Amino acid sequence: MIELFSQINGAVSSFFQINTYLQGVIIMMCINIIAVLGMSVLTGFTRLFSFGNAGFMSIGAYTAAILTVQFKVNFIFAIIAGALFAGFIAYLLGSITLKLKGDYFLITCLGFGECVRVLFNYMKGTTGGSAGYPGIPPYSTMLFCVICTVLAFFIAWRFIHSKYGRNLTSIRENEMAAEAVGINAFRFKRMSFTFSAIYAGWAGALYAGYLMYIVPNSFNLAKSCELITTTVIGGLGSLTGSVFGAIIVTVLPEAFRALANYRMLLYGLAVILIIMFRPSGLYGYKEFSLKRFIKGIINLPQNAKLFWERITGKNKIKANKGDNGND
Amino acid sequence: MTNTNSPVLEMQNVDKHFGGVHAINDFSVKIERGKIHGLIGPNGAGKTTIFNNITGIYAPDSGKIFFMENDITKTTPHKVAQLGIGRTFQNIRLFSNLSVVDNVIIASNMDAKYNMPQAIFKTAKYKKLEAYLREEAMDLLGFVGLSDKANERASSLPYGHQRKLEIARAMALKPKLLLLDEPAAGMNAEESLDLVQFVKEIKSHFDITILMIEHHMDVVTNLCDHCTVLNFGKTIAVGTPAEIKSNPEVIKAYLGGDE
Amino acid sequence: MLLQQLITGISVGGIFALLATGYSLIYSLLDFSNWSHGEFAMVGAYVAIVFSNLLGLPFLVAAAAGVAGGAAISFLCERTTYRRIRSNGAPNMFLMIAAMGLSNVLQQAANLIFSGQYRSYAFRLPVTTIQIGNSYIGVLDIISLCITAVVLVLLIYIINKTKFGLNVRAIASNSYAARVLGVRVDRTIAMVFLLAGSLAGVAGVLYGMKYNVFPTMGNVGLKAFIASVIGGLGSVPGAIVGAVLLGIIETLVSAYISSSLRDFFSFALLIVLLLVKPSGLFGVDVQDKA
Repeated sequence: MIELFSQINGAVSSFFQINTYLQGVIIMMCINIIAVLGMSVLTGFTRLFSFGNAGFMSIGAYTAAILTVQFKVNFIFAIIAGALFAGFIAYLLGSITLKLKGDYFLITCLGFGECVRVLFNYMKGTTGGSAGYPGIPPYSTMLFCVICTVLAFFIAWRFIHSKYGRNLTSIRENEMAAEAVGINAFRFKRMSFTFSAIYAGWAGALYAGYLMYIVPNSFNLAKSCELITTTVIGGLGSLTGSVFGAIIVTVLPEAFRALANYRMLLYGLAVILIIMFRPSGLYGYKEFSLKRFIKGIINLPQNAKLFWERITGKNKIKANKGDNGND
Repeated sequence: MTNTNSPVLEMQNVDKHFGGVHAINDFSVKIERGKIHGLIGPNGAGKTTIFNNITGIYAPDSGKIFFMENDITKTTPHKVAQLGIGRTFQNIRLFSNLSVVDNVIIASNMDAKYNMPQAIFKTAKYKKLEAYLREEAMDLLGFVGLSDKANERASSLPYGHQRKLEIARAMALKPKLLLLDEPAAGMNAEESLDLVQFVKEIKSHFDITILMIEHHMDVVTNLCDHCTVLNFGKTIAVGTPAEIKSNPEVIKAYLGGDE
Repeated sequence: MLLQQLITGISVGGIFALLATGYSLIYSLLDFSNWSHGEFAMVGAYVAIVFSNLLGLPFLVAAAAGVAGGAAISFLCERTTYRRIRSNGAPNMFLMIAAMGLSNVLQQAANLIFSGQYRSYAFRLPVTTIQIGNSYIGVLDIISLCITAVVLVLLIYIINKTKFGLNVRAIASNSYAARVLGVRVDRTIAMVFLLAGSLAGVAGVLYGMKYNVFPTMGNVGLKAFIASVIGGLGSVPGAIVGAVLLGIIETLVSAYISSSLRDFFSFALLIVLLLVKPSGLFGVDVQDKA
């Protein structure tokens, strides 16, 4: 099965003349997109904040790795198992922690992520500990990852544009009003949390198959922060924005090698500026649409002026209106 | 089951404290089917606390609340809404960044009886249900006079329209009881007259029972069949608006006694 | 042996407490956990390094500069970033995201300026121990403990006995009412950031003395955050109790169970505690008003 995929992958990449390096970049991009899509549903659409998604990635990665290496399970089933197991853990964790108030929930997520990392480092028998887990079959070929990403985006898009997404968004907008129209906020928050963990687990499983060797410390707090950062850069409340965000964050340091050292510094700055001036993201809770894009290009001078006024605060009332909080 | 004579809502000896503050003191009320009941009293009299007790935002310390003969004393907010109690908020709580029509569609989420796979594969049932929900929401918006604003952002509406949208959203639940928290707040005489007309239309069109908190006496006189007057959590008068107006206790509470 | 561990635990807990009180102060006013607080300590520690190692100034001067550095960066973050976000009326989650961004920026900036190298103060620290029974207790631990105690007592005095403290408590209980009654809210908030920043500066210098100074040392802020959550967000005494408790538990787990499981125990304790007492040891339940 893996051979079949890698042969097709080889044919496709030689047809498009994509070299191994570029394939690697595309694979990393796909993995990031999937993880960020999960984060986007959680943070952008439900306004929940998790510092634990790297933990779910690592659960997905180790589950898939152990299943393929030790139990010789077909990699597709291993990936599904990894993603679902991460989701299952999130469901349990969410059941007990989502009733806590905002910051308390956040710290338990963070604590959970760190606990997973410490435990995986400690359980040398099953995970290889800090020395890492080697010998994972290279199932994450470029073609396979691209297929996964398209599928992930498709599912997330349909999810968000159905009643499920609408209910999540209503919780983001005003939890008390959502409850007042019969939406069980706790249940939908848990659904969102589980969804994002499944995506994180999926991304983690692909990551394991790409690197063929994983260590617990790749899934640390910094990784969770990076996921949030990417989501914010892409734009909260926009799935297409999240995809662009993930592409930018993966490609930029590759394109400008000199930037690589300043990468996290620049992302941090970008996050601060976006939150200060354009908190609803680059698209303002809107999905990318070609029509609007062309319109925007045509009206570029005028939009630039509006944008400048927004930044300098001359147009403050208008700028505030869209991004007001609940309370 | 529910006979026509039984009250839609009944509260028995409800008490609620916040720290040392006795927010509601032994409050009882019966609201008959098809009536509009007014809850009036100065600021801090405990009116909104009563709403929050009914809708389950917090449970009373003691006492019982029945809705259509079901005990809802300790029921959670979304369950109360699902049972058929719609509400608006004193400081309007819309889903501000969403479109006007989405605000209404969200409130009909209970009618969206499809599951996750059906949503992801957009089955015929899903498409039919979604189209139906949108149509119903548009009808409702048409009724409140907001159909031309359906695709605008809720926060971009003027204040009066936001109030109407919030009521439309509550109506999308198809409630049997509607709780209105100061619907005429911040409106001038002409606008509140408009509102009186609007509430009357809603009541006759949807055949529902209404409990409303209101300060404007003219709105109360024009709308309510019965009133309860509160002061510092205590019920000081019950009766028709005309009776209330001539009640010395009420006059004292409103004009300020010398306590 | 146990006594020795306890003293170490309390002294580590003291450093956590200096930061945890900062979290609590800011949380009590703004309802948000200032994620970059640990980085303020890191900045303070590096300022002290510059003064003592580069400029060769006496250690006390360098330490004072470190404290001022922590205060300055804290004040700067409030003025340039947090205040602007608050004035947008943005939800608290946005403040947290910005704080995370600031934390990244400060950490990376330190990494670029000073490199990832571990540094220690050029000052000869008293590394001797004194013997009590069969326990050896570090003089440095005792000094650190004393400084912490003095600073925390001072803090509690400021909060409970001064006009400024009264303003802080007024804003914490109801910022709108406080503003109406003439409390200058933004100014008080800025001063609280100064105060919290200087506490972080003290913590940074003490931490740098005990261990080393390095760009990611701000992660100690995480422990302090946990401590303040254990104590109950927004409660200053709670933060101190939580911090000391956490310090002792961490030291004991490292000594008697396994140092690699230390963090696991801290987080597990936190999660279990929150399940039993959802708003921490000293937290108050605030009911959302409709």
